Amino acid sequence: MEGRFPERGLPYLLLLPSIAVIALFLLYPSAEALRLSLYELSPFTGQGRFVGLANFREVLSSEIYRRSLGVSLVFALGVVVLGLSLSLGIAVLASLPLRGAGVYRTVLLWPYALSPAVAGTIWALLFDPSTGPATVLLRGVTGASPNWMMSGGYALAVTVVAAAWKILGFNIVFFLAGLQAVPRDLQEAARVDGAGAGAVFWRVTFPILSPITFFLFVMNSLYAFFEVFGLIDVMTQGGPGGATEILVYRLYQDAFIATRWGIASAQSILLFVMVGALTLLQFRLAGRRVVYG
Amino acid sequence: MASRPAARWTPLLLHLLLAAATLVVVFPMLYAIQVSTLSFEDVFVFPPPLAPGPAFLENLGRAWEKVGLGRLLLNSGAIAVSVAAGKICLSVAAAFAFTYFRPFPGQTLGFVLILVTHMLPLPVRIVPTFQLMHDLGWVNSYQALTIPFFASATGTLLFRQFFLTIPPALADAARVDGAGPWRFLVRILLPLSVNNIAALFMVEFLYMWNEYLWPLIITTSDDMRVVQIGIKMLVATDAQAEWNIIMAGVVMAMVPPLLVLVVLQRSFVRSISLGHEK
Amino acid sequence: MTPCVSAARWTFARVVVLMLALAGLGGEAEAQAPVKITLWHAMGGARYDAITKEIAAGFNKAHPRYVLEPLYSGSYGETVTKAIAAIRAGDPPHIVQVFEVGTQTMLDSGAIIPVTDLVKPGDIDFGDYIEPILNYYQVGGKLYSMPFNSSTAIIYYNKDVFQKAGLDPDRPPATYQDVEAMGRKIVASGAARHAITFGWPSWMLEQAHAMHNRPYADRDNGRGGRATRVLFNEPFGVEVLSRWTRWAGEKLLAYGGREYAPNKAFLAGEVAMLMQSTSQVTTIEKAARFRVGTGFLPRIEGQPAGKSVIGGASLWVLRGPGRSPEELDAIVKFFKFIAQPEETAKWHMSTGYFPATRTAVALLRQQEWFLKNPNHETAFKQIQEGPDTPNTRGVLLGNFVQIRNITDSAIEKALSGRLSPKEALDEAAREANRLLDEYNRIHK
Repeated sequence: MEGRFPERGLPYLLLLPSIAVIALFLLYPSAEALRLSLYELSPFTGQGRFVGLANFREVLSSEIYRRSLGVSLVFALGVVVLGLSLSLGIAVLASLPLRGAGVYRTVLLWPYALSPAVAGTIWALLFDPSTGPATVLLRGVTGASPNWMMSGGYALAVTVVAAAWKILGFNIVFFLAGLQAVPRDLQEAARVDGAGAGAVFWRVTFPILSPITFFLFVMNSLYAFFEVFGLIDVMTQGGPGGATEILVYRLYQDAFIATRWGIASAQSILLFVMVGALTLLQFRLAGRRVVYG
Repeated sequence: MASRPAARWTPLLLHLLLAAATLVVVFPMLYAIQVSTLSFEDVFVFPPPLAPGPAFLENLGRAWEKVGLGRLLLNSGAIAVSVAAGKICLSVAAAFAFTYFRPFPGQTLGFVLILVTHMLPLPVRIVPTFQLMHDLGWVNSYQALTIPFFASATGTLLFRQFFLTIPPALADAARVDGAGPWRFLVRILLPLSVNNIAALFMVEFLYMWNEYLWPLIITTSDDMRVVQIGIKMLVATDAQAEWNIIMAGVVMAMVPPLLVLVVLQRSFVRSISLGHEK
Repeated sequence: MTPCVSAARWTFARVVVLMLALAGLGGEAEAQAPVKITLWHAMGGARYDAITKEIAAGFNKAHPRYVLEPLYSGSYGETVTKAIAAIRAGDPPHIVQVFEVGTQTMLDSGAIIPVTDLVKPGDIDFGDYIEPILNYYQVGGKLYSMPFNSSTAIIYYNKDVFQKAGLDPDRPPATYQDVEAMGRKIVASGAARHAITFGWPSWMLEQAHAMHNRPYADRDNGRGGRATRVLFNEPFGVEVLSRWTRWAGEKLLAYGGREYAPNKAFLAGEVAMLMQSTSQVTTIEKAARFRVGTGFLPRIEGQPAGKSVIGGASLWVLRGPGRSPEELDAIVKFFKFIAQPEETAKWHMSTGYFPATRTAVALLRQQEWFLKNPNHETAFKQIQEGPDTPNTRGVLLGNFVQIRNITDSAIEKALSGRLSPKEALDEAAREANRLLDEYNRIHK
């Protein structure tokens, strides 16, 4: 066969480390999570009794969990909308031919290096209810003295902004790559036909960008669901009143503070269902493009 | 985008807009650095002083001592580097196996298994993995913080996609010359893949350096702690938050990943662009 | 989990640990090597220094045969969970610091060695211990854990702000009405932006119940048997939360977060009064740029009188495989060490936690410590007054950590106006009762 080596055993050897790690540390625990979710467990002995779907019923009927689900959805929506729209705008600007634009493109990626915890710390400082510069500014401009510990909506807004900020650079880089791949002649043709810059963008450029946009939509959603734990833990610890308690934070509380292993595992499985749906959607619609992230 | 800037967008205007946008985006980082140089009293002065203050080293010393920053940085660095390296090795090996050998039984299953990990982020399996670490006696150890992360779906996919763009004739030529798969991999494929390797290293280093939840639950002593948890410890203090000291810690937590980003940024961008120029 | 699987896992873990142990231990067989005991704790900040540099160092110096290794393992909740996981894996620390809300969980764990079983009578004079402290950790006449850092809640206030507002700087508020009157004056005069704040909202609700001799849960506050129902959504609890919510509505109260987060606002001069644990008294006095005063927690007018309740944490001894008699002896010696009047007095001075024994208190009086540091005595005086009933001993609940979380959340919802106090407490009670049922099912 062309381009292939004849060795028969070597591929197995090459695959072995990956498969071993995956089997032991990903597949086995995931299956175990499914099993544990069907039990009511004592944290000390690990023994418990089989309760079938009772944990799931308990979780789904719990007001606290439902609230957490709602928060996660709103949070993700906020991050996605804010993150994508801002970064698209900036990317469009940065993609215009301009001498020295490379500097901007480089620097804009830098917040991506920060961890959610660090990003959360910095924004907690900026918005510190007593003395943070953003709070002082807001107070001076509007006279209101918002305290995110007293207002759930405000806390949610601040955490969404912090999370979206961190992912901006990542989105920009991908949009830039996508924008550079848009065929010039198509845009020229549209312009020749009399379309204004706005129409050129929405009718020609944006549709061509849609695979990237969709890809970023999925990546940003996964990010908002799974990767901002550190940010929440540093800034609000899920408060006030659960207003910023995303699903992963709720899971952490139930698993590692309340040691309700069975309930926590049920929540894990529910998360799996959500991820599964999102990933399947991604694979169906993304076609054969490179999946990076 | 446009083949020439439309008349309304003069370069100056564009520069201003972009500079403003960039400044706004980067401002929080700059502010953090600024605060880390101030003395405690100056932190709350408004408007904040623009020039760097004198107290950076002092703040850094306090933060260092408070949470053992040196050890934390070492741990984070060791973990990030070893996981990034491990992921690259395993991904390259797997992608190589899928691309350059005759179809072998179990190939599709292996590929699917690797892809499925995309759907299994840590929270989906966190309780049993936590228990597994206890059963293995790996609690509070480097193994627990690194080995479970060694496999990578994205890495494998990345390299496989890349290998597919390489003309098969190259491999044939190598075979004709008497080179085995190993030599082909090391002498030809790897050098060609440098960009992707650098890009993946950047992404994975950042990911592991910034990982928070797993170290939080699996570490029980100071000598295994990572820098992200150190930041949390600095913030979650009983008394008044000494922001200048916290920011000194933040700066130390920011600098290594930032350096990695700055150095490898080009490769990362190139790697994405090439992937999209189908 | 089937017995086979769990036995297999157990064996496998044991084998791995054994191999690791053999690999690592070349010369451990010498009788000379110091016996090490580990203590997992949750003391951060200044208390971390006190534990490591004063207590551990002091003990190790006094007993060169033994080495106490304190390990900071995160917050109270995280420390308990990690200890539980370690127990299950068969590799627990010798001693773990568990906060008071973890008491029921530890009692039901089957993994502890009660202090009265470990310490021979006469080794430590428990009769010398301050009663409310002992009463909290004693159940059925037996002492299960070693009191270590006990606190209660008091009110701190900014004397300078009081003076500026035209109030007597030596008179803290004694009732809720005082808080309202003084608070309005303070805010109106601009001496501070807000009047009052508090940390540990759930604990404050529990304190309010204890201060007025009200039960927080059934079955004698959980002390006469496992509690099955919480009672904080009864009219009294609703009244307390309604008062707090009214303060919030008038902008007298500025909620600053759980645990110690609101200290910031108080220290920054934003808020004039702070209801907080006495364990912060040293830290707050050091960090404040104003004169700090303290007082008893304000009471609600017209309600029966009770007593404030003990908080903080205690030290639990965990059973473990292969605990040698030397290790157990080391633990006992450590407990004796921290029970010494000088040590518990030093711990008090560094933090604000109670000096645990009457002898220690006498020692401090002799040194005129309380004269020079009157704020350190407030909490101590507060727990001396009042009846000793199940309501004032402190509530015991299963799943208490989670229930605290729920009540914290409910209080936050009421304060931020999302729910009315009654709705918030009713919702919390529903969830809490479900948790109690679950706990009681598991620990039949």
